[in-house]
Amino acid sequence: MMRFMIAALMLLLSAAPAAAQIKVVATLPFIGSLAQEIGGDRIEVVTLVKPGQDAHYAEARPSMILAARKADILMYNGLDLEIGYLPRIMESSGNPNIQPGAAGNFDCSRFVSVIEKQAGVDRSMGDVHPMGNPHYVFSPKNIASVASGMSRALSEADPANAGYYKHNFKQFRQKLAKKQKEWRKKTLRGKTFVAYHKYFEYLASEYGFRIIAYIEPKPGISPSAGHISALLDLMKRRKPSAVLATYSSGAKEAEYVGQAAGIRTILLPNDVGAAATAGDWFSLMDTVMNSL
Amino acid sequence: MRDKFLFIVVLLLFSLSPGICLGDDIENRLKGLEATLKAQGEMIKEQQEVIKALKDQLETARQKSGPTTRDTASSEKEPTHDNQSAKESADDKGWKLTGLFGSSNLANPNISLTLNTFGYHSNLKQSVLSGRGIPGYTNSGLTNTKGFNLDSAELGFFAPVDPYFNLYATIPISEEGVELEEAYFVTTSLPYGLQVKGGKFKSGFGRLNSQHKHVWDFVDLPLPYRAFMEGEGITEKGVQLTWLPALPVYALFGIEALQGENATLFGSDANIGPHAFTAFVKMSLDLDADSTILFGPSVITGKTKTDTVAENTVFQGSSTLFDWEMTYKWKPSKQKSLTIQGEYLYRTQKGNLTDNNTELTSRLSRGQDGLYVQAVYQLGLWRLGARFDALNLLATEYSPAGEQPDFGSLPWRASAALDYSPTEFSKIRLQYNYDKSGRDHAANNEIFLQLILAIGAHSAHPF
Repeated sequence: MMRFMIAALMLLLSAAPAAAQIKVVATLPFIGSLAQEIGGDRIEVVTLVKPGQDAHYAEARPSMILAARKADILMYNGLDLEIGYLPRIMESSGNPNIQPGAAGNFDCSRFVSVIEKQAGVDRSMGDVHPMGNPHYVFSPKNIASVASGMSRALSEADPANAGYYKHNFKQFRQKLAKKQKEWRKKTLRGKTFVAYHKYFEYLASEYGFRIIAYIEPKPGISPSAGHISALLDLMKRRKPSAVLATYSSGAKEAEYVGQAAGIRTILLPNDVGAAATAGDWFSLMDTVMNSL
Repeated sequence: MRDKFLFIVVLLLFSLSPGICLGDDIENRLKGLEATLKAQGEMIKEQQEVIKALKDQLETARQKSGPTTRDTASSEKEPTHDNQSAKESADDKGWKLTGLFGSSNLANPNISLTLNTFGYHSNLKQSVLSGRGIPGYTNSGLTNTKGFNLDSAELGFFAPVDPYFNLYATIPISEEGVELEEAYFVTTSLPYGLQVKGGKFKSGFGRLNSQHKHVWDFVDLPLPYRAFMEGEGITEKGVQLTWLPALPVYALFGIEALQGENATLFGSDANIGPHAFTAFVKMSLDLDADSTILFGPSVITGKTKTDTVAENTVFQGSSTLFDWEMTYKWKPSKQKSLTIQGEYLYRTQKGNLTDNNTELTSRLSRGQDGLYVQAVYQLGLWRLGARFDALNLLATEYSPAGEQPDFGSLPWRASAALDYSPTEFSKIRLQYNYDKSGRDHAANNEIFLQLILAIGAHSAHPF
């Protein structure tokens, strides 16, 4: 025991000098990817939720608590998306830096123009998010302001490198402006789609297409046979361009519905790293825009 | 924008008028004029679009900041692409409610209510069940009634007190009345990975002990928990200190000082003042992206005075309970998971055993043990679980007055459970127990049909 304690202490001491980098813990892969984009080599990013894992249903593994324990900044999606595990991770970490209200508690949704806020909801309506649709990952407009917020938060945490973060953000913004021109060329305006889950609402509102129906009868509720047959009827009448789902959520159901209705099914990565072509946020967006 | 446009038009008119007066090659000039106007028209269109975008932005910014007014003076504006920067200034310094604990409000804590109800049947008579202890371990019987059972409707409260404390309370309401099962604070702002918990809480001892009933994988606790701790394990008044050092691997160290009122382990009047102490270590490693192990030892020790050792006796002395826990979890997706979990418990008791009838006192020194191993496989909304638990494995000595009484065969039990959760707020479970813990020839074949429903605040799931 004594020997172990000594070893533990030595590890602690040896860990101390490496603390020059700002330690960022991001809940979701796209948040980690954005932080890396802005923070470059001055920060160390640990991402808690695996790519391709459903962000609603992750579990608070002890390793996540340990990562949060060491964090200077915790960056999360917010809007109740991580409610099943993040409060526990934050409390169990015992890390004062990242508690609500502390400087290292970075809720990305603070920088988002949230859509679909809902009042007077209850759980008979499924897994609803009263604070609004939390899936803003596919929203270039909002991601730009999240990135800007990150650059400011990092500058505050690490004023010595403020210029570096600002510079990285400017580059990010320029790249985004260029990319957006490319994405805008895509003619999506007026198109209609059917989707499994409410993943694509921000994208729809920015690029002018519409999601006319969902395979989930209610958010987070698996479809019944009755709902599917009603949906197929609707699809025959309305003839949407395609059925959308992510690889990790509703892929099987979407393919089934697509086949039954004779309509193309498009499977998309739900986050950075969920497809081989989606290595960072830009390539994630490229993958999504090229698939639509 | 409009002013600028007017200015340009006026300027244009002025610059053009001399040309008209000249009368010379008017056609050319008209053509030029037409081209300029066309260009102007396009410019107007573009600018109108920009104005519209700005208006939209202003609107969203207004909605966003809503009724709460914030200090916007200190905003350092960072021009973003697409002319959008207006809305950011509002959020620069002010803290928006994060929604981490659900729809936050200050007037009320987060409240949840969990209903735990089950139907029960056994091949044994009700009178036999209520007298059926585990000879050599406990003489208190089973509490389930054949037919409908209402375990409890459990109220849960939690909220941050201030930037330094979170407060929790668990209040199960049953037909017997209201109980304050837990009421404790947890610190959030201590340095060096330290955390203090105090009040009445579930001890960090072992694995199942700190879990609430409604997150158990089976309706009931395994035999060693029943034999050594009874009820729902060690829930005590006291204080806990944990330390999570910033090591490369997860290692949580904890100690507790507790009042020591667990009836089976210590008895309620064992000593005056806190007299039970625990220490535990929990370590965890991620084996790969999908699998995790969690393991570690725990110990609880304290002064004991109980009457549960044997009929008509009082035991006075000390008890120490050791625990080794091990959990392996494989979870490649939300659709599929496998959890294998086990605990080995070993108890020593040293002291005097007094026979109430004869008032003779003999020296008691015994070691007893038990374990359980369970596996739960989840596929979609369904989960299938199997559990084996047994007592009296390695440590069997029991020597009041130097003789070893014969308590009968090895106490063991096997269980199977199938549960279905339509959402994370509801669960229906069917469980079968083949229970040979009575140490006689009779097996207790038990069947449970349990329903667990939760409303209110969304609590975070334990690992």
